[in-house]
Amino acid sequence: MAETESTRRGRIRENHQVAPDHFLMKVLLPSSFPSPAPGQFVMVRAADRMEPLLARPLSVCGFQRSHGHAVLELLYRVTGRGTALFSKMKADDEVILIGPLGKGFTVPSGLRRAIFVAGGVGVAPLIFLLRELCLAAESPEDMERIFYLGARSRELLIGLEHLNGTCDLKLCTDDGSEGYHGLVTQQLRDEIAKYDAKETMIFSCGPTPMVHALREVVEENPIPCQVSVEERMACGLGACLGCVVEVRGPGAGSEYVRVCREGPVFDLKEIWERKI
Amino acid sequence: MNPASDKKRTASPDLAVLVGGLTLKNPVMTASGTFGYGQEYAPFVDLNRLGAVVVKGLSLETRAGNPPPRIMETPSGMLNAVGLQNIGVRDFIAHKLPFFRQYDTKVIANIFGETIDEYRRVAQIVGGTSGIHAIEVNISCPNVKRGGISFGATPEAAAEVTRGVRDETDLPLIIKLTPNVTDITQIALAVEEAGADALSLINTLTGMSVDIERRRPHLANITGGLSGPAIRPVALRMVWQVVRAVKLPVIGIGGITTASDALEFLITGAKAVQIGTASFIQPTAATDILDGIIDYMARHKIGKITDLIGSLITDTEVRC
Repeated sequence: MAETESTRRGRIRENHQVAPDHFLMKVLLPSSFPSPAPGQFVMVRAADRMEPLLARPLSVCGFQRSHGHAVLELLYRVTGRGTALFSKMKADDEVILIGPLGKGFTVPSGLRRAIFVAGGVGVAPLIFLLRELCLAAESPEDMERIFYLGARSRELLIGLEHLNGTCDLKLCTDDGSEGYHGLVTQQLRDEIAKYDAKETMIFSCGPTPMVHALREVVEENPIPCQVSVEERMACGLGACLGCVVEVRGPGAGSEYVRVCREGPVFDLKEIWERKI
Repeated sequence: MNPASDKKRTASPDLAVLVGGLTLKNPVMTASGTFGYGQEYAPFVDLNRLGAVVVKGLSLETRAGNPPPRIMETPSGMLNAVGLQNIGVRDFIAHKLPFFRQYDTKVIANIFGETIDEYRRVAQIVGGTSGIHAIEVNISCPNVKRGGISFGATPEAAAEVTRGVRDETDLPLIIKLTPNVTDITQIALAVEEAGADALSLINTLTGMSVDIERRRPHLANITGGLSGPAIRPVALRMVWQVVRAVKLPVIGIGGITTASDALEFLITGAKAVQIGTASFIQPTAATDILDGIIDYMARHKIGKITDLIGSLITDTEVRC
């Protein structure tokens, strides 16, 4: 099928396992590929294949542009048929990409402290954000960067090569095999009082229970928090209405908005809390 | 604007079709619910090249839709239970319809309701709006006054909706049929009798899928509508049955993903086709399919698309 301005064919440069069920894919693209912003995602599918049918949304973990080409880095976890297929793809295999899509993280000007809270593969967009903040900083004193990274166990703490030396890294594992023994949100709760809420922003991405726990932490200690939300998508373009999340609506009620267009990054306060 | 597509158009054969009083420059349209309000796809697709855009289903008031998860991929298809989320007919006319003024393509409003009166009122509003060229009526919705049985499930209710909407508008009236019935030709005949100008089929097939690890349905709504290539042979069979049963023009819908798929429907007798789930996979699916139809006609030296429509050759009597 014909390529358009926003649908691009890319060639896999490498695709290797970084942890059990976790892979890093680097895709070689024409240099015309638009620069993604941290928190944005791309729709990815294997080229010349109709099964699985739908593209999969993957958040961007890194992006470089150099002479005549661009490289997009995608860190993903195998969760179903689509990602299982990706994990078996080899260098030189081709993928079709749509993107970058969605609304990414917003970094307020004059921000003095960035706190990152990542659970598992949720580290992917936050690595990209951290890298961009490091590039933008004129001196290390410009902005304090504290990174809370949690996973079930030591071998699932991924992306460390990007985090070591670029931030104050705090590791947490559910089983205590590395760092703090407990949930990433628990460690944040223990330490949050020492952060002045002024000129501070939390950037987070992780599984739904982590997002709910984070909400409780920031309710007690009000620091503004942006969260990247995950939902199944068919199109990624705002047409299928498959990927909605419930947010505060106008007035007292809630409404469904599209993760692919109004998100994937939301102000945590906007996300509707459904009492279970 | 685009020299490549201009060249294609001047070299192209006669693609115009007449569907129930509506003249389309070509038989390729987008299906309701898969193309948003057009705007979402404008960066990818030259909307001028489409025969028509059928917009996301409109109700009298805004509808929030179903809770997520709303979609699940299945073999060669997908289930959806979006729950007809939409901004309501008035907001559509005020805020979304003006976008189409810059394009030379037909706009078809897909409408639905939960009662006959609601269908009538939406039809009345749409019918009095310039810039809308036809109405497509989704009769697959549950009839809240009749215990939630779909309007499209019985010939009587399908005819009642059709008559109600017909009373309110002179616009070309397309009734979109559900496949979740015992005999679709009975519904088609009832709708024809009640005053429809055309039929479109099929809507999604009701389906279900379960997450065995969690022992929960994949969709919050439990069941959803199956679309995509998986339903195409069923859709084609129903188009074949309906084109022989009624005189009304039929628009084929159901898993059409390539030009070859679309040609199957046209040869079988559909006057036009709608592209649905394929647009999710490849945003340019509809215009890619149009290009493929043009190539096919050139290859087979067919000058007019109407010479191709209904040209199916069968050697045996059909028994069942």
